[in-house]
Amino acid sequence: MTDYDVCIIGSGAGGSPVAYTLAEAGYSVVVLEKGPWLTEKDYFKDELACCRRSVYTPQLKDERHVIEDYDGKDANGNYKWASESTYESGWDFWNGNVVGGSSNFMSGYFYRLKPVDFNLRSEFGPIEGANVVDWPIQYSDLEPYYTKVESIVGVSGHAVKHKFSEPRSTRDFPYPPTVEHPITGYFDKACFSLGYQPLQTPRAVLPYAVGQRRGCEYSGYCGSYGCSTGAKGSARAALIDKAITTGHCKVIPYAKVYKLQSDDRGKVSHANYYDYNNNKHTISAKIFVVACHAIETSRLLLASTGTKHPNGLANNTNQVGKNLVFSAGGSGTGEFFYKDMSKQQADEFKIRGPFINRGLQDWYVIDDKSFDIQKAKGGTIDYLLSHPNPTTRADNLKWDNNDKLVWGNTLKQRLKAEFTEKQTFRFEVFNDWLPTDDCFVSLDPEEKDKWGSAVAKVRVGYHDHDLKVGNYLAKKAETVLKQMNAKNISSSVSGSPPANLVAGGCRFGKDPAISVLNADCQAHDAENLYVTDGSFMPTGGSVPYTWTIYANAFRVADIIKRRL
Amino acid sequence: MTKQFRNKCNRQSKINLQDILSQWNCEVPEVVKQKNLKSRRLFLEQSIVAAGSVVISARAIAKTKTSSVDLKKLSQPWLTLSEVQEHLFPRSTDKDKQTARLSVSPGAKDIHAIEYLQTMLNTPDVDGDEKEFIIKGVEWLDGVANGIAGKPFIKLNKASREQVIKKISESSAGENWLSTLLRYIFEALLTDPVYGGNTNKSGWQWLEHQPGFPLPPENKKYWLLRNSKTAIQSRGKV
Repeated sequence: MTDYDVCIIGSGAGGSPVAYTLAEAGYSVVVLEKGPWLTEKDYFKDELACCRRSVYTPQLKDERHVIEDYDGKDANGNYKWASESTYESGWDFWNGNVVGGSSNFMSGYFYRLKPVDFNLRSEFGPIEGANVVDWPIQYSDLEPYYTKVESIVGVSGHAVKHKFSEPRSTRDFPYPPTVEHPITGYFDKACFSLGYQPLQTPRAVLPYAVGQRRGCEYSGYCGSYGCSTGAKGSARAALIDKAITTGHCKVIPYAKVYKLQSDDRGKVSHANYYDYNNNKHTISAKIFVVACHAIETSRLLLASTGTKHPNGLANNTNQVGKNLVFSAGGSGTGEFFYKDMSKQQADEFKIRGPFINRGLQDWYVIDDKSFDIQKAKGGTIDYLLSHPNPTTRADNLKWDNNDKLVWGNTLKQRLKAEFTEKQTFRFEVFNDWLPTDDCFVSLDPEEKDKWGSAVAKVRVGYHDHDLKVGNYLAKKAETVLKQMNAKNISSSVSGSPPANLVAGGCRFGKDPAISVLNADCQAHDAENLYVTDGSFMPTGGSVPYTWTIYANAFRVADIIKRRL
Repeated sequence: MTKQFRNKCNRQSKINLQDILSQWNCEVPEVVKQKNLKSRRLFLEQSIVAAGSVVISARAIAKTKTSSVDLKKLSQPWLTLSEVQEHLFPRSTDKDKQTARLSVSPGAKDIHAIEYLQTMLNTPDVDGDEKEFIIKGVEWLDGVANGIAGKPFIKLNKASREQVIKKISESSAGENWLSTLLRYIFEALLTDPVYGGNTNKSGWQWLEHQPGFPLPPENKKYWLLRNSKTAIQSRGKV
């Protein structure tokens, strides 16, 4: 007898669909979440809570990562790596350690992958220095689950046909788009005159109340903030709350799993965790599902050694932690000065609340003789208003163009101009971060967390190919801003990893020599272990990951259900 | 998904106090250095006690139209810090570009920047080294002020204060110290009034900033969230 049928580690977008599906089916489920249980009653538009203090994430002095960043080349032309803990650098790699995980803080720009994303290796051939492989499943395997997420989590939008649109089994989204900002009118006009097709970005945001969740109230503060209405499709609001009401699911906050024990046959038998008071507990279950953030999932498996798993759980071919991917690309801005506009237009541009909801996928596959690769996987460009966080905006203004500190009246004038004379329009480029041997997770031999466990060390190398594609897309993105008569247009594409867009590390595949999981996201060498967060992805696609993580977790939940 | 890139201004890296001490010590007169060594521990303890004992009447602030802070009630090092804040972020007059109308824009004292700083430095999530660094900086500042003008910072006129601030901004330690103070001034200017700054939303009004909603009530200040009864309790039955 085990304590539960299923034990899930992590309550975010990877764990919750499994909890929801199996609890609904009547199986007993326990979810171990290392963070607190914050609800709509705890989420306010408080910049200190969301973005300037460690409230939704651990204090770095207690729990940190060690980042190995590119540090030039040595005399033989080999890469050098400089390692620094995030406690020293302040470069925080945590995303959201609360019930519902980082899905609480996403903007919810929801894109499906496209059929091409499942077969990058066969579609575009090998790329030297990159470990690109085809997925073991196809788009058609995931399509029903993308559709499921649209109704269960709640995705609003309007489907239109375009050059690279993916097939859909339903005609349109179950919820109509959220209210749009007046700038979108100018944006669409500019795109049409350039021959681009502006797309309405689907959002995991409910436009009106559904069940216990209220509709969006358009406060103008969405990404990075927890939702106070329940409109945002966080794993907590959309799935955990419902799983609890089935009477078959228990969620334990502040349960920090530090080890998965395995038996002599290699099966996982117990999860060991610390509770709120740092007391140790052990839970047994028939099946274990790990979904606690790409980096932390690999870390937990590596730390979970056993008789049959001397190098860490599911790591008998030394693949755990390998082929970590982020989202490549970058961002850019253009400025619109109110003095150049009519009063009416200026009033439109100043509005804060409704969404931009616009993106371009005209170059999801690049086929352009002027591009030095000619045919390559491209990506997605999203447009948005600059983030409204005022303290962050102000703090950036204390440095002048020569990086010297500014104060007194000069500083105050800079603030006044920045805040009151213009609206900054922004874009973000998403393209594939190619998996390489220089981007992976291991256990740091020295640094420990507050419980004494080795922290994850992450090497964050990137492939030059990513920058070429990113720059190509950023230049295209700029043309729209130019057409809109924006001033001071600039963009930046770099190999710096965005810490909130991470996947891979336990990729799935048919060949155990180069993957950790099989096509069912079940460990090759531990038959009652599944991984359902973004870790499974061999390549990331050129969109934010959340919808795909949700969809795949629903798919794996059905597989586990059939097995139970 | 808003991409979160590394931003040096967003969150300060951890300060290595020893590095800074050795850097800044090079610029501080020898006598001050000696004094620092002897009194450092005692000095820190006193300043922490002082932080707790400052009481400012809200009604008094509402009544006065000039300086909103009762400076007489501030003890060192807060008195000097308050003056440095006001120098970095003075009350000033804005001229509207279209109408040429003049309006007063808030300075550090108007937005209660010193009380805000005191509050924040007493929260557990502000790094102890940072707190020590901020407080320590006052002695270094006065060391430089004495070296340049023969008087502590608060006894100097505006022009001399500017000279001293400019001087310390030229070392990386000094620049770091001023930048840290500015970071807290911006927070006092633009975070929710529930935290003690942004008096009557004057920071938001000055910059025509539209805050979101709902805003945090008194019982949901960020340091109260993680350990509330509902945050730590398991839910659901099996």
